[in-house]
Amino acid sequence: MLELRNLRRSFGDVVALDGLSFEVAPGELCGFLGPNGAGKTTAMRCAVGVTAADAGEVRWRGQPIDLAVRRRTGYMPEERGLYPRMRVHEQLVYVARLRDVDAEVAARNADRWIDRLGIGERRDDPVEQLSLGNQQRVQLAAALVHDPELLILDEPFSGLDPLATDVMSEVLREQADAGVAVVFSSHQLDLVEDLCRTVAVVARGRLVLDGEVAALKAAGGRRLRVATDGDDDWTARLPAGAAVVSRRDATVTVALPPTLDPGAVLDVARRSGRLVDVHLDQPRLSELFRTAVADRPDLAAELTEVDR
Amino acid sequence: MSAWQTVRLIAGREVRQRLRSRMFVGTTLALSALLVLGALGPALLGAFERTPDDEPVAADPVRVAVVGSLAPAETAALEATLGPLTTVPAANEAAVVSALEEETADLGIIVGDRVLTPPATGMFAVGTGRAFQAAETLALTEVLDAVGASGSAAAVLGVEPLPVEVIGEDDQALQAARLIAANLAVVFIFAMLMFYASMIVNGIIEEKGSRVVELLVEAVPIRQLLAGKVVGLGTIALGQMFVLFVPATTVLVLANRDLIPPGIGGMLAIIGLWFALGYALYTLISAGLGALVSRPEEAQAVLTPASLLALVGYVVGFAAIQAPDASFAVVAGWVPFSAPFVLPVRQLVGEPTSLEVAGALVLVLLAIAVVALLAARIYEGGILRVGARVGIRDAWRGSSR
Repeated sequence: MLELRNLRRSFGDVVALDGLSFEVAPGELCGFLGPNGAGKTTAMRCAVGVTAADAGEVRWRGQPIDLAVRRRTGYMPEERGLYPRMRVHEQLVYVARLRDVDAEVAARNADRWIDRLGIGERRDDPVEQLSLGNQQRVQLAAALVHDPELLILDEPFSGLDPLATDVMSEVLREQADAGVAVVFSSHQLDLVEDLCRTVAVVARGRLVLDGEVAALKAAGGRRLRVATDGDDDWTARLPAGAAVVSRRDATVTVALPPTLDPGAVLDVARRSGRLVDVHLDQPRLSELFRTAVADRPDLAAELTEVDR
Repeated sequence: MSAWQTVRLIAGREVRQRLRSRMFVGTTLALSALLVLGALGPALLGAFERTPDDEPVAADPVRVAVVGSLAPAETAALEATLGPLTTVPAANEAAVVSALEEETADLGIIVGDRVLTPPATGMFAVGTGRAFQAAETLALTEVLDAVGASGSAAAVLGVEPLPVEVIGEDDQALQAARLIAANLAVVFIFAMLMFYASMIVNGIIEEKGSRVVELLVEAVPIRQLLAGKVVGLGTIALGQMFVLFVPATTVLVLANRDLIPPGIGGMLAIIGLWFALGYALYTLISAGLGALVSRPEEAQAVLTPASLLALVGYVVGFAAIQAPDASFAVVAGWVPFSAPFVLPVRQLVGEPTSLEVAGALVLVLLAIAVVALLAARIYEGGILRVGARVGIRDAWRGSSR
């Protein structure tokens, strides 16, 4: 289990982490979400030891994270980081060797990931000669080449084309299936919704929402879209707890509390006319995200552009 | 993985990357070729214009100043071993010594007593070798004369040669060689230190600028990272010295062994030692300073304090060539930052006391240890802060993590 416990970190007057806590279990694929400046990058850097927390701690399998654990961690920094003039294969071997992987194993792993990520033709080219997308593949390979048991990736999907996005998603899911604890930050909420079983949402250094995506969506209340061929004055007689979210022509969208049976709303609507269209939706992750951040306007208003 | 293994891994990468730089390898090879050409000049000249001094079996007779008179058998025996002789009678030992000093004689013989010789020139001791041959020949001739043809072999084999005495101390060739070596040492040490200072800073900036440093510090303690870079570049520096000097020296040896300045081994050892110490001192300072900046255009500016220190050392070192034992040179020898420039000069052309040499060594080693601690702390404080230049106090106060 990766545990971030009550992490605090300030940069001058800017509070980046304000008592952040969450957990990621082995085999879990966790999306780490938050607006710009929420503290995602700082939290991840604390987890890999690149930034020291002012207070709080990060544990892996019950132990504070030390050098030995960091060497078994795969990390993809936000700004990316590779030696521009070093060749792809050589660079991957070097990164693995620094993490105490035997030279032969490192060479084999490097080749395996180069092939898997489709950059075989660039194996012996300097990294700076690769396209940005391919550099990102090398960066991912650098996080994986030592067979880590913990993967911490800062915006791994940013800048990828749809095909590369598919490959990245597939690799992350495979890693989680193999028992690796994977946490990655992203602003692509739909992608996270499809890919991750759990999410953690952070705003101004604090956790504002976390848990399994399915449970969050179920708990977040459903939306019922109803269209009738009669008047829409039935909405005045809605059962307690239900509320109109929007109206467009004859179509009304109603938010339902988790306990309310949608049939009760339909019964009311049917009294004003024949049902023309009915649609029951769970909320999208993006809606949950917006609600979670907006529910704390005190935080949302103060978000800075500094995402350290 | 032990700390040393990590350091070696990092050093290995530094070495491989430099060796892959065409600019670096090309420049080094070109310089080496220039030095070989420089060596070829005198080597070729030397091959055609050998002076009698250089050549024991030249056509010119060996001039021998003699006190007393040599028996015809002795002269014949000497000619058999040394080649043609011209004997110059001398009144007494003092006359022989002055003849040797004025180079009007190549060898002095005080019959029945001693052989006198000027000091060796060249690495292979031409002059003194001739004197020992003469001493042995004379003793043998005397013994053979005494015992006759029927004498026992034991008497012949047991013969003691005459004593040989070397007149004078250093010769001019040695003085000249030391002067040249001192000049070269100061220029070489300064140029190399500046070169490697900017090399390590540029390497650090590359790691900061490309952010690869985040990937490194996740897996490697920052101090080992620093040590690896210093060791790696040091290895390259050693290799570069080898490539620069060995081919040229080999050419000299192959062309004419006598052209090698006497005592070159010791001189190179002195230069090498002080370069190594200066390298450690200045590269560590540069690494600490380099961690404060993130852009290549800031490299020179951030290095200014180190450059100024080295420049002062260079100027003092240069001045010390003219007055190696003047008080300013003695004082500068006790200052660790100028010692790597001044001490080699003093050791080559001056007469530092062994206390001064040992004291300077100890102080420089101490300074390296202190600078290593300071530089490591500043390096730790600056290496992860990308962007605007980090103040030295900021870097000192907080690790950047």
